Amino acid sequence: MDLFFQTLVNGLLIGGIYIAVAAGFTLCFGVLHVIDFAVGEWVMLGAFAVFWLNFFTGVDPLIFLPLIMVLFMIVGYYFQPLLQRVITNQQSNALLMALAFTFGMSILFRGSALTLFGFNQRSLTTFLSGKNFEILGISIPALRFGATVFAVLVTLLFMFLLYKTKLGLAVRAAAERQDVAGLMGIDSSNIARIVYAIYLGLTAMSGTFLGSIFSVHPDMGLRYTLFAFFVVVAGGLGSIQGAILAGIMLGLINSFVAVYVGGQYIFLILFTVLYLILLVAPKGILGKGW
Amino acid sequence: MKFKTKWTIMVVVLLSLSLLLSGCGGPKQSDDGKNAEAERDYFKVGVITSLSGASVYGGNVTRRGYDLWAETVNAQGGIEIGDKQYKVEMVYADAASDPATGADAVERMVTTDEVDFLFGPYTSGVTLGVAPILEKYKVPMITGSAESPLIWKQKFKYTFGSIPAVDLTGSAPVSTLVNEVEGGAKTIAVIGVNDAFSKATAEAFKANAEQLGLEVVKYDIVPEGTDFTPLVGAIKELNPDVLAVGGHEQTHMEVIKAAKSLGFMPKAFLMHYGITTPDFINNLGTASEYVFGGAVWTSDLEYSDELWGSTKEYVEAAEARWGNMPDYTEAASAATGEVYAAALAEIGAVPPLSEEEREQLVDALENIKVDTFYGPIDFANEGDWYHNNVGLQPLTIQLQNGEQKIVGPSDVKVADPIYPVPGWEER
Repeated sequence: MDLFFQTLVNGLLIGGIYIAVAAGFTLCFGVLHVIDFAVGEWVMLGAFAVFWLNFFTGVDPLIFLPLIMVLFMIVGYYFQPLLQRVITNQQSNALLMALAFTFGMSILFRGSALTLFGFNQRSLTTFLSGKNFEILGISIPALRFGATVFAVLVTLLFMFLLYKTKLGLAVRAAAERQDVAGLMGIDSSNIARIVYAIYLGLTAMSGTFLGSIFSVHPDMGLRYTLFAFFVVVAGGLGSIQGAILAGIMLGLINSFVAVYVGGQYIFLILFTVLYLILLVAPKGILGKGW
Repeated sequence: MKFKTKWTIMVVVLLSLSLLLSGCGGPKQSDDGKNAEAERDYFKVGVITSLSGASVYGGNVTRRGYDLWAETVNAQGGIEIGDKQYKVEMVYADAASDPATGADAVERMVTTDEVDFLFGPYTSGVTLGVAPILEKYKVPMITGSAESPLIWKQKFKYTFGSIPAVDLTGSAPVSTLVNEVEGGAKTIAVIGVNDAFSKATAEAFKANAEQLGLEVVKYDIVPEGTDFTPLVGAIKELNPDVLAVGGHEQTHMEVIKAAKSLGFMPKAFLMHYGITTPDFINNLGTASEYVFGGAVWTSDLEYSDELWGSTKEYVEAAEARWGNMPDYTEAASAATGEVYAAALAEIGAVPPLSEEEREQLVDALENIKVDTFYGPIDFANEGDWYHNNVGLQPLTIQLQNGEQKIVGPSDVKVADPIYPVPGWEER
């Protein structure tokens, strides 16, 4: 029975660490209608930014979380107009163009990181690394627990922003119909920049945790792009609640299959589930997606 | 219209940059025309390895080995054939850690760059992708890295390997843990990643464990990119004496991190390739201590060598050039060049090599035995390890104070194995 609960906790914690990435990613799609293929590379850049900050200052990587958030929000705010040019209505196939553009970006970032930072694997050691605590005989990895608490908190904060503030109302209006929102006096291009900034901030901060749990290297992003896609598609494109639920589902499937079925079946079962979701509920598990 | 033109230019620039930076470009084009090619007075040596993608670290480890050989040979005037010396020029192609990309890249390298012979890929998977192309074009390749026994079972005529296959080397550490430590291990859990080398390593650990009477409490092969925490959690419940892992350095780091985060410490961790790399030790710090592994070479060994003088001198040269202690893969890659040099000298072939001379080179490689700083290299001519260097003794190593120490078999050990190893908190 202990193993069951240990597996449950491990699953929840695996899902938990992807929530923040998935929430940002799905919002980016919901408002900007951009499927960002470079999401994993933004995770990687966030992890590298923290790595170098830690390297030069020796301060615990987790202390830099707010700084990373601000830094990448600024990057996002000024980078978004470039992306906007690709997805503007004047271009035909905006969605496809965005996909091609972000795919190119992911290769550019990955290649640049390889050239600039080299091929070595690096580790981020935080004050939580390697520690664990026990509750009722179940070991809880401190760093993963911290990552999950962090992801849940920022996502809640983010949802508060989205559903309880004026800015949030404007974001949701822009997500619904950008042109109509514009007619109502909402500066939708500025909203798009803010949304992209928040998305990058969330993603880069997740990079800090993911880099500490796993390792930091130029190729680390691919894994997170894959999981972000799973979570967002299963949760329903554009639905934040769906993404959270799908993130937890991903973690639980991962954990229970590894323990009770066999590690070799993880991806097979994961993607069969995704296929079935798309077949039965194309708008995601909550039916709230696009 | 103006906007569109600007946009097009930007996309073209970005795409070109990304291709350039990610190393996706094809092999370096030679300026030599056909006539110049016929008069070439240096050997053109192809290197196909992973310079990007998931195996970029290991790919560069092999490249360092190959490059050091080339630099050393050129510094000494080149390969001596008869009374003349011929320098070597390295041509690189990126397999991008993918067998299909490797196959494409090597085909371009052979047809466009017209290399005389090749140094092979980092992973066994890519080697299996590349080898059939070399059969087609009849160009010899020696890999200084690939360790999966699957390669040699295919009996490729033009592919050779310097490191003995893992089913030969995996036996030593298991045997040490069962027979050469106090209270010998009784139970083992084995996990491996689903790629040619890692899976073969896990299979070798399992087969050897069963042969030696160990109880295998868990055996699982997982896809690359798996989160190891649940699996390690399940293994913690089974509490085996040994957790053995088949994988590359990243896998090993993640397994150790997962075990530490769950407070799980078996009596020993057994891993194979990767624990000897500087990244493993640098990133894990004290958590890397006491991990057992298998190898056929460490810097403690003493062999004499024509090019560098001795193992010690090679190690000094490698450390001075790359800033790190070389591991057995880097060493095997460096030694690989010495075999080519000896075989070329024996057949007296000068560059560029004709198809007939390449055939002679393959024959010479099959029959030659070269003593290097890495040990003797002698490729098998028949059987399940066809063209694999089977002459080296498998060693058990353990990381002690950040160094790889030979702890078995008992007749060659330089330090005693530490077992059971100290817990996480006691370090």
